[in-house]
Amino acid sequence: MDAFFVSVELLARPELRGKPVVVGGRPDHRGVVSAASYEARKFGIHSAMPLRTAARLCPHAVFLDGHSALYSEWSDRIAAIFAKYSPIVEMASVDEAYLDLAGTERLHGPPLAAAHKLRCEIWERTHLPASMGLAATRLVAKVASDQAKPRGLLWVAPGMEEVFLAPLPVRKIPGIGKVTEAGLHALGIQTVGQLAAVPLEKLENAFGQWGVALHRKARGQDAYEFFLDAEPKSISHNHTFGVDIDDAETLHTTLSHLAEKATKRLRDSGLYARVVTVAIRYKSFKTITRAKSLREPTDLDSVILATAKELFQANRDRRQQVRLLGVALSGFEHAAPQLDLLDAGRRERLEKLARATDRLREKFGFSKLQRGSSLRLPDDE
Amino acid sequence: MDFSVKKFDLLAELNLTQGVVERKTTIPILSNLLCEAKGSRLTITATDLEISICTACDAKIKKEGAGTIPAKKLLELVRLLPDSEIKFKLLDNHWVEIISDRKKYKMVGMARDNFPQLAPAPHPLVKIPAKILSAMIARTAFAISTEESRYTLNGALLVLKPESAVMVATDGHRLALVETAHKFDGLNAEVRVLVPRKAMMEVQRLAAEAGEDAQVDFARDDTNLYFQFGGRLLISRLLTGQFPNYEAVLPRENDKKITLDRNELNDAVRRVAQLADQRSHAVKMALSKDGVEISSSSPEYGEAKETIEMEWKGPEISIGFNAQYLLDFLGAAAEGPISLELKDEQSAGQLRPLGDEAYQYRYVIMPMRI
Repeated sequence: MDAFFVSVELLARPELRGKPVVVGGRPDHRGVVSAASYEARKFGIHSAMPLRTAARLCPHAVFLDGHSALYSEWSDRIAAIFAKYSPIVEMASVDEAYLDLAGTERLHGPPLAAAHKLRCEIWERTHLPASMGLAATRLVAKVASDQAKPRGLLWVAPGMEEVFLAPLPVRKIPGIGKVTEAGLHALGIQTVGQLAAVPLEKLENAFGQWGVALHRKARGQDAYEFFLDAEPKSISHNHTFGVDIDDAETLHTTLSHLAEKATKRLRDSGLYARVVTVAIRYKSFKTITRAKSLREPTDLDSVILATAKELFQANRDRRQQVRLLGVALSGFEHAAPQLDLLDAGRRERLEKLARATDRLREKFGFSKLQRGSSLRLPDDE
Repeated sequence: MDFSVKKFDLLAELNLTQGVVERKTTIPILSNLLCEAKGSRLTITATDLEISICTACDAKIKKEGAGTIPAKKLLELVRLLPDSEIKFKLLDNHWVEIISDRKKYKMVGMARDNFPQLAPAPHPLVKIPAKILSAMIARTAFAISTEESRYTLNGALLVLKPESAVMVATDGHRLALVETAHKFDGLNAEVRVLVPRKAMMEVQRLAAEAGEDAQVDFARDDTNLYFQFGGRLLISRLLTGQFPNYEAVLPRENDKKITLDRNELNDAVRRVAQLADQRSHAVKMALSKDGVEISSSSPEYGEAKETIEMEWKGPEISIGFNAQYLLDFLGAAAEGPISLELKDEQSAGQLRPLGDEAYQYRYVIMPMRI
């Protein structure tokens, strides 16, 4: 998605279209830019830049607070559109996904036509701009999508991968960051084409195993296949607080919200979880994770929330402020077959309730229906 | 404190204390045994604050007194000593000297005053034959819940009536209920108590030691249960809370009844369970005109199918159970015929051994969706 957070904000503030817009918070606050409109990017503003720096670069930019719950809601809606185009969708992040279009010709036509149709449908249904790259490997598709931005669709025909990549700076390859870039520059390598020309041994000597991967990446190959068996090993939701927190109420509502989010996704995948894990990262960056195995697998919010709370309360160090909270579910099974003797029918009733809740959320958005314990989230208004 | 005791007299009592002594305790003194020498007896006490045991053996006392000794280390050492007299003597600083012939040890003890005081046993309420207690525990203990959050299910309900005794345990998936006729002299009213799992295990151990005809003096007060086996006393904290209304879940309309041999069923379920799903342990029992088919399948291991031939004229019915739940019961039930009683696929099944005359034993087990 193009400047996703900004695009979502502009849905509510259309008068800001065409202006430099920065999402992340007020310019005099500590914190960093989450997203910048293309107009703001012209001033050199990019994500992860301190807000104060952004304000200096472009004092007349409009600074907006972020609404992460809103973004993930829109992300869910877009994911639902993806699902119509391919059974194999990998959401790489809230605004980025890989779709495997192999075998979808009879439904949607040749890949290029399908991609075009998909991009149009996203625009019609959400009014959010998207860009796409179409290629034989995930790596090339990702680079092509970046090159296509904004609002573009770029197809790299099979066999043209190396030609397409060659003139690009090495930094464009996913996985190459500041450190590798500097290492490559030191070897006199600036472009992907130059990188592709370096013998494998030389890269291996300089970078070890990573050198082998670089050699492959420079040719547009990736070792990463789509997993047909797309069942996840775990489902987790984390929240990093804007400011470190020690207020019990905020921590509990956040935990409850995360547990609800994770459980909804669990049900969406048709799974039941046997293990609940809670992660707490403190101000000091010290991180603890604590897990509990349930006697029987569940997909019910009430059970998972109670377990998460129990783990949190038993393990939280109250002397330290919390920076991040996370709830993860794992130990998946496809059914919870054991019926209850003492309270027969209770679980069936709770499962019905959960399914009804999910249907309402799909229609009106996740935050429209929440447990009381999840309310009052500061960034959720 | 200065006394000597025969190795095997001491070892028998030390063995009885091991289930009570905490392995991982945050209170160091609870890893120790309290040894008190008085008159001609050595009294040994262990506690984890939830459950306590007080036992005694004959000893030659030179000087009365008391000390505490690390329980595990003492047991290990006494086990390794030759069969002869062992001398104990309290030294300064709570150390205890242990001498067997020319072998000499000194163990680090702790002050006797730090050892928790046990509540004195109130006047016994009733005498229960140890044999009955033990038999009832063996038939129910496995069904106790191990989930700490289901507090009131972490023990069994013991009901003593003037002419019978009942014990019930459940974990929410299955329920074991045993009843036996016995005239309890001096008991006029019903006594209902929740006995914690750990106490049941210790009662069973003590009952096994006490022998066939032993009687247990049973007493209770507001916080504790007391089981007195002759010179040995077990004190357990009472589980408080409301045990579920078990009578409400006992099946009444299970009209599809077949009789199976315990050993035959047990062996079949054990074999079929080998290929059951390793997490759910689900096995299927299907009644048809061919008999009872017991089957299982798992994507990882394969599938199993066995048929116990018998005549069945009723409607076909197919029901899933956790194999472990079946095996728990079959292991505790008396040999001979077992009655399996079903209603439908969604309702609780009931199993009863028919060859057990002394104990009316019912096992109610909720099915699995298959």
